Amino acid sequence: MFETAIQTFTSPVVLFFVLGLFAAFARSDLAIPEPIAKAMSLYLMAAIGLKGGVAVSKSGVDVTVVSALGAGIAAGFILPFFAYGVLKTFGKLDRINSGAVAAHYGSISVVTFVTAVEILTGQSREPGGYMVAVMAAMEAPAILSGLLLARGMGSKAGTQSTGEMLHEVFTNSSIMLLLGAFVIGMVGGEVGFAPVSPFFEAGFKGVLCIFLLDMGLIAMRRIMESRSITWRLGAIAIFLPIVNGAVGTTLGVVIGLDAGSAAALGVLCASASYIAVPAAMRLALPDADPGIYLTMSLSITFPFNVLINIGLISALAASLTGANGAMQ
Amino acid sequence: MIETVTRKRIEILADKALQRRVTDAIDRIGITGWTIVPVTSGKGREGVWREESVMGTDKVLVLTIAAEDKAMALAEELAPMLTHLGFVLSMWDVQVIRGERF
Repeated sequence: MFETAIQTFTSPVVLFFVLGLFAAFARSDLAIPEPIAKAMSLYLMAAIGLKGGVAVSKSGVDVTVVSALGAGIAAGFILPFFAYGVLKTFGKLDRINSGAVAAHYGSISVVTFVTAVEILTGQSREPGGYMVAVMAAMEAPAILSGLLLARGMGSKAGTQSTGEMLHEVFTNSSIMLLLGAFVIGMVGGEVGFAPVSPFFEAGFKGVLCIFLLDMGLIAMRRIMESRSITWRLGAIAIFLPIVNGAVGTTLGVVIGLDAGSAAALGVLCASASYIAVPAAMRLALPDADPGIYLTMSLSITFPFNVLINIGLISALAASLTGANGAMQ
Repeated sequence: MIETVTRKRIEILADKALQRRVTDAIDRIGITGWTIVPVTSGKGREGVWREESVMGTDKVLVLTIAAEDKAMALAEELAPMLTHLGFVLSMWDVQVIRGERF
């Protein structure tokens, strides 16, 4: 466990994130230009989608892949209900904000997943390539659950129609790019990927470092300027990823995934979206406060997952599968 | 000397994600055109906000010029959104050339 924590804190990806947190805390003028940050997020999603697609084209679709997909989608639908209950009772949030925050915690964070893959690979526990497909499949279900919880069964005046909302959820730029690149990777396979791999592989870790630097800056600036976060919400933003991560990892082990893939499922369940879901919520639930859902997911849960929880989940997966010997 | 006429210039600060609700309203009222201007940061009742395009929290200014009756109709159309969605609307008189176009 200690060794796992040390490995996390010596990863340049994580250290750049810490640098971002520190720079913002010290009120440095360090900033990544917005168009570059946006371009980096698109690059990362295209690269991770492509790599996942190529991995699945190589390994094929078997029972493990299908059960991992099923478990991920089920978790995406169910986890928001638990989060909603906690947010409404302990967090004292109203129905709309509880539903909006719950959607974030049921959905996933691509960058948390990518960081986890980097860390797990460093521990000789590389998750299966199909986990990218699981990640893509887990983005949308929680949005639907969150909206159901926030709106009740009928849609309210002043909000979008269900058709418009579904269109927005499934054509959301990050879901579109991630799934699209995954399909391209599957169709192209290893042979098709080879000519474009220098662009998507050589720069990947470097871009991830700079992107995480930016996320560190944004996360810290948000929490320092936040006016809506109570201590109860702060506690929930730590409690949910711990519980969801443990549930996801256990679920992964139960359905027969290897330690790395079970940990990846745990990280997906533990992570909270801050790219796809906020965009969908702003349109579908404009009354919900972004100052609550973005600050919780990006400024508290994301750093907690990157700095601490990925290590905990990896250790849990190793102990549940008896894979401790695999560690270097 | 060139002839000018008085029109209303309307400026709406809105979330980029929701800008279509504003431009759709402008189109519905029958105002000929609009322009979207990106903005970088600001401060309001909810505190400081910044352009964060990755998270989709960026805002835009929607600018349009119209005759007074249409400007008032647009303000009425957008009024429910101002509180509900946190938009800011302001308008003032401007002199335009080729007034028939607005």
